Amino acid sequence: MKKVKRLVSILLVLTMVLALTGCGSKSAADSLDEAAITETAPEETTSAEETTETEAAELDTSERVDLVFYVMGDAPADEKMVEDAINEILLERVNATIDMQFSTWTDFQQKYSLELTAGSADLIYIANWLNYGQLATSGAFEELDGLLDTVAPALKETVGEANLNMCRVDGKIYAVPCAWAEYVCNGIKYREDLRVKYDLPVPDSLENFEAYLLGIKENDPNQGLLTVTTEESQGFLTAFDAAWIFNIKYPWVNTNGLPYGLASNYDTPADVYDYWYSDDFVEDMKLMKKWADLGFWSKSALSDTNNSESYKNGLCVAEIAGQNPNKQITALQDFKNDGHDDWQSEYLAYGEVTNTIYPGHATQNGTAIVRGCKNPERALKVLEILMTDEEVNRLVQYGIEGVHYEIDDQGIYHNLNSASPTFAYEGFNTWALRNGEFKLPQETDVVLNEMFDKYEKLGEQTKFPNVNIYNGFSENYDAYQAERTAVSNVMKQYLAPLQAGLVDDVDAAVAEFRQKMTDAGIEVCRDGFKEQWAAYCEEYGYK
Amino acid sequence: MKIKKATSTIIFEIITYGLLAIGSLVCVFPFIIILSGSFTDNVTILTEGYSILPRNFTLSAYETIFRAPKDILQAYKMTLYYTVVGTAIGLIMITLTGYVISRREFKYRNQVSFLIYFTSIFGGGMIPWYLMYANVLNLKGSTFAIWFPALMSPFLIILMRTFIVGSVPEAITESAKIDGAGHFTIFAKIVMPVLGPGLATVGLFLALGYWNDWYRSSMFSTNSETWELQFYLYDLLNATTALKQMSQGTSISTAQLPTESVKLAMAVVATGPVLLLYPFVQKYFVSGITVGAVKG
Repeated sequence: MKKVKRLVSILLVLTMVLALTGCGSKSAADSLDEAAITETAPEETTSAEETTETEAAELDTSERVDLVFYVMGDAPADEKMVEDAINEILLERVNATIDMQFSTWTDFQQKYSLELTAGSADLIYIANWLNYGQLATSGAFEELDGLLDTVAPALKETVGEANLNMCRVDGKIYAVPCAWAEYVCNGIKYREDLRVKYDLPVPDSLENFEAYLLGIKENDPNQGLLTVTTEESQGFLTAFDAAWIFNIKYPWVNTNGLPYGLASNYDTPADVYDYWYSDDFVEDMKLMKKWADLGFWSKSALSDTNNSESYKNGLCVAEIAGQNPNKQITALQDFKNDGHDDWQSEYLAYGEVTNTIYPGHATQNGTAIVRGCKNPERALKVLEILMTDEEVNRLVQYGIEGVHYEIDDQGIYHNLNSASPTFAYEGFNTWALRNGEFKLPQETDVVLNEMFDKYEKLGEQTKFPNVNIYNGFSENYDAYQAERTAVSNVMKQYLAPLQAGLVDDVDAAVAEFRQKMTDAGIEVCRDGFKEQWAAYCEEYGYK
Repeated sequence: MKIKKATSTIIFEIITYGLLAIGSLVCVFPFIIILSGSFTDNVTILTEGYSILPRNFTLSAYETIFRAPKDILQAYKMTLYYTVVGTAIGLIMITLTGYVISRREFKYRNQVSFLIYFTSIFGGGMIPWYLMYANVLNLKGSTFAIWFPALMSPFLIILMRTFIVGSVPEAITESAKIDGAGHFTIFAKIVMPVLGPGLATVGLFLALGYWNDWYRSSMFSTNSETWELQFYLYDLLNATTALKQMSQGTSISTAQLPTESVKLAMAVVATGPVLLLYPFVQKYFVSGITVGAVKG
């Protein structure tokens, strides 16, 4: 009997230990580390092949290679047809084929890591929101420095040295970015027709924005003003959407400043200063309280869910969080489609006021070769053809001309089955293969390109002309994961009501928030972040 | 003469019925909202919110779905296929396994049972599971990978074993053996005929599992033609959220996203058949679970 008892207790302890280790959230990067270790052996052999390849200048295409290209999102209906058309050309040129595989939008982060662990793909879409930096550090992708010179010099030229350099992680290139600069400058989308109707100022400052909203409220008390929630404000920058408006006041290096309540200005990125513990912050929170008391947003804003169609349906007169030029275009279209011809939407980028306009970062859209790929040279060559050959690029981005799309006299793209497209615009979701030279404008792109031109001119006048400084940085927070989680909870619990102005006494609430932050270990996070950020700025010369 | 109920009984009944009524209302309410929402004009939902009876009644959401019904019909077809194939094969395998480990004369039955029970506590985890199917067995993209992993589960095997032990006395199988019956004859002629409720229970568990699954499509499908219905719907919602979030950071088209009422209509279309089928098998379901309740 005793023996049985002992056995049972041992078993129970074992179960517990196993369950505990099982529960430890194993990040994708960890598992990739392991994958990288097991895959070091094949990697050595490939690099050996590389050197022989360098000597033999011409790429050996005697053997047919079938490549898998893993991209995000859902497959188009005519996937097969377009692939066949591309493969016909690829077979002839480099004796290779590609098969697009799609992540779908369900659990895509998890499946993306799994795909890298399994190593069944050759080419893969990368982006900063898919943790490109971290994955590259842990050895998920092939280094491309040497290969680009030997195999794909044309690709290197198309993309440009500056763009490639932005994809460097620890000094090495792991991805090829797209060759099209886009501006995703956050800003304010507002109703120009109402502004003109009530003779209100353009909301280009905090005072004018307040005057704009107040003016509408006085003239039409039933009109909703803002539908702000907590949903666009995840992460470590803000906790409530209304706080995005402060981007109009500060020339920060990144929208909403730096994580953990830090900030630095675009002109002096390495010069980090404190925001949450500054007097500016108290003043800003008092303004939020004033706005909340004026009824700019709902009293239940903290628990409301995001209604992204409220602007479209006229339930609010401005949107300030998570907006970009493309959303302005969508709004213009929506108003037209819904028969609101008298409604007008206007867009003001925060950077226009603070002179901090910059394009998207190169790692926003890119393609990498998965570590362990058996034919990295051929994969890169195929990528080169996909991006730099006009015919192939058009095929992969827009499908077959005459079947899926047509180009009108002005060179504008029209989908031929726009009701339910069998191959939509950029139907393979290969945003990383965009090439400005071949990119076909859609009807709406005319306005968009005008906006981009304006931003490009403004971007040239900044201290770092048209450089996106912040988004190339990837934080490694393994050392302070626990504190980070605590900080995140305090943000949700104490910062959100403050930024929503739903507190009775701002000074007291700020004091409590700061105390809770200190208790949560904000200093540890800040020190860790500052150190890495300083190193990043040093590396790229952002001073 | 009428038997008078004691006052305490009446009060008790009022309270019980009241609570039950509230309970069932709570269960039914969300479904009514979905149903009414699917018949409501999309703009009305956005401006006025949901209601119990549809305001601005319209069939446009269903028209949108059935205008291009190819995708949804294909997903229906595949789910039916997975459910039928998976349930049939799964039932056979579970019943056979249950029979074998219920026989006393099977020498290693404890070891085999242990191997089965062990997996219900200790699993290999998601990554090895995925790598096994994707890299070792190379099944990614096949329909086999979608129905195969769910054929058997330790819980259902235990349930079936308990059921067999409980409903077929040892003496009967013994006498059959004396009469010269082999294991297959015993299984087919003596055990199977009394297994009705057990089969219904396990079958229903399996079938519901298959009908409601989306995860294996998400993991192993490489072509939307092999998608399960639930995954088709789930992915539709996920695509909407993901594209909306992505459009913050980069220019992509968000024109083709489904509206609120279309999403609700999808939910109705997907749940409808199960709702209709449920009342007919439910009686087996309840009795089956209690039958297998005494374990060991």
